Amino acid sequence: MKERKYEILLKSLTLHIVSFIMILPFVWLVSTALKSPEEVFTQHLTLLPKKFMWSNFPAIMKAAPFDIYLLNTVIVCAGILAIQLILVIPAAYAFARLNFPGKGFTFILFVIQIMLPLEAIIIPNYLIAKALGLLNTRIGLILPFVASGFGTFQLRQTFKQIPASLEDAARIDGAGHFRFIWYVLIPLSKPTIITFSLISIATHWNDYFWPLIITEVDRVRTLTIGLGMFLQQESGSDWTLLMAATLYVCLPIIVLFLILQRTFIKSFLTSGIKG
Amino acid sequence: MKLFKITLILVALIFVLTPIAHAKKVTLKFYYPVGVSGPLVKVINGMVAKFEKQNPDIDIEPIYAGNYNQTMQKVQTAVMGGNPPDVAVVEISELYSLLAMDAIIPLDKYINKEGGKEFLNNFFKAFLGNAYGTDGKIYGFPFQRSTPVFYWNKDMFKRAADKLKAKGLDPNRAPITWDELVEYSKALTIRKGDKVKQYGLIIPGGWNDWIFEAFARQNGSQLMLADGKTVTFDTPENLEALKLWVDLMRKYKTCPVLRPWNITPDDFIGEVTAMMYYSTGGMAKIRKTAKFNFGVAFMPKKKQFGTPVGGGDFHIFKKIPKSHQDAAWKFIKFMTNPEMAGYWSRESGYIAVNKKSYQQPEMIAFLKKYPQMTVARDQLKYAYPKMMAVNYQKIRNAMTTNLDAALEGTKTPEQALKDAQREMEEALKQ
Repeated sequence: MKERKYEILLKSLTLHIVSFIMILPFVWLVSTALKSPEEVFTQHLTLLPKKFMWSNFPAIMKAAPFDIYLLNTVIVCAGILAIQLILVIPAAYAFARLNFPGKGFTFILFVIQIMLPLEAIIIPNYLIAKALGLLNTRIGLILPFVASGFGTFQLRQTFKQIPASLEDAARIDGAGHFRFIWYVLIPLSKPTIITFSLISIATHWNDYFWPLIITEVDRVRTLTIGLGMFLQQESGSDWTLLMAATLYVCLPIIVLFLILQRTFIKSFLTSGIKG
Repeated sequence: MKLFKITLILVALIFVLTPIAHAKKVTLKFYYPVGVSGPLVKVINGMVAKFEKQNPDIDIEPIYAGNYNQTMQKVQTAVMGGNPPDVAVVEISELYSLLAMDAIIPLDKYINKEGGKEFLNNFFKAFLGNAYGTDGKIYGFPFQRSTPVFYWNKDMFKRAADKLKAKGLDPNRAPITWDELVEYSKALTIRKGDKVKQYGLIIPGGWNDWIFEAFARQNGSQLMLADGKTVTFDTPENLEALKLWVDLMRKYKTCPVLRPWNITPDDFIGEVTAMMYYSTGGMAKIRKTAKFNFGVAFMPKKKQFGTPVGGGDFHIFKKIPKSHQDAAWKFIKFMTNPEMAGYWSRESGYIAVNKKSYQQPEMIAFLKKYPQMTVARDQLKYAYPKMMAVNYQKIRNAMTTNLDAALEGTKTPEQALKDAQREMEEALKQ
């Protein structure tokens, strides 16, 4: 019994230290966001600002229409994720469970897509978007990312691990492809799907280059472009405003993670039992 | 009855307004980078609104395009995609890349109409040096222009007066020569044991290729000839300059190694350093936040004073209707007129490109309050064009990585210059 107490203590101590280290940059971010410019770089480290500069937040709203940017970012990220899931799940199913001619070759193409950096295909993407009249539209921001090689690969691996006996049972009960996907594969692959969704949202939430290239009006621009306005090359940055803007940009994502945290962990735990 | 009347008025209004709305309006896409802090997007939008008010037949769509590199990438993508902007501000060293892409038009025709040489005489000659292509035609027009200058903390100099006087140095002025620079930086560095509590000097990293170009000029050398093809990075004069840097950072340790560009003004404001090399672009921010008296001086000389210029120029693009190009010139002329150039300078910290700006009452009053701003203008006498080349971003990369390596001590200064020279020549061949 004694040993166990000691173990628990050690464990929680380690966890506390690790989480403290993890949260420190974020605390620093919040602290800088509330400081006045003179207080950012001082000889002595101070965590609490002497005077709370709440005015930093109205100041960033004045610099750019961040409310519109936020709305656009939400629409774009949700749009990308929704279409990604619709495309990726059947594709992963096909690669994991079906046999068709050219399967190996097409799969290699999908894997190659993971390795292509966005910058390498930016000109062809731009030309296609222009030909389709999608410059300066949210659809133009969504479309290049909807076919995710990474998601297909990730889900294929998960689908492959699901025992064939489950598929046989579903078949005997008369389930077709989509019924099997919906009632068997998706519930069993929830952790992977959620993980992929979070990665997708975080990636596209932070995407800067593509939105910068194809959008030119505030109506369709996204948060990261607003954030870029505070990063200056010639004069040094406005750190306080930059941090206030960063806080505004990452807060929704953090809240989303906090809300999903429980489901996230739960789905990991239960999936083992069900499988 | 009342409703009828209102309807009638509305219908009449529509008839009156329709022709106005249908009058041919030119809409220009204007890409611009933001290089200095402050709500400059707002300032640009305000200037654009003023222009539109004076020119009701022209609409300008100001489009923020990121920093200098990103703006160039956006311009390149748009030009290659057959969808060029009408007018854009691009970093001055990119001119040859724009010309290689056949993206922009010469402005000689417009300038001749304004009076040719006489019109150009209104602008600082130093800023026009980067506007010419190798064919002698003028392709760019100066707008947000800066030079590096030398900042010094007057209060810190006073506090160190005894130490400075003991060395025979005047605490009431900035160093004038490289040798003085070393002595001042030694006297102004404060150590507690092995730890530096206050640096004498910061030569920032990040854009150190630009500052290095200033040192090269001060020693009578340069980094690349004006043809944009002959690299002169590896010269004895440049080696002397780099050795001075390495000594300051590694031998005397009076200057931190590769302090990030972004943080350096904050170090100056936070009194972490007594002196720094920095762009005039930082002046507005320092003026607003520094709690001490600061001075701005010419960068110390070796053989001579010398500085490259920096910043961004306007360009008008090809493959757009002529009416757009004409309107774009009107816009450029407006943005660089004495009043606007002065306003832009006061808001941003850039040097006003129009000489007449300095005769405007607002500007005279402003300079009386902030005499530091005049030093940058006066230093223009010793200004040279910044180096330009095709493939500039690659070349810049070769310069910064090798300078960094020498300052970090992973390469000898000799090796770093040799490697930079070779890599730059390779990038030019591509």
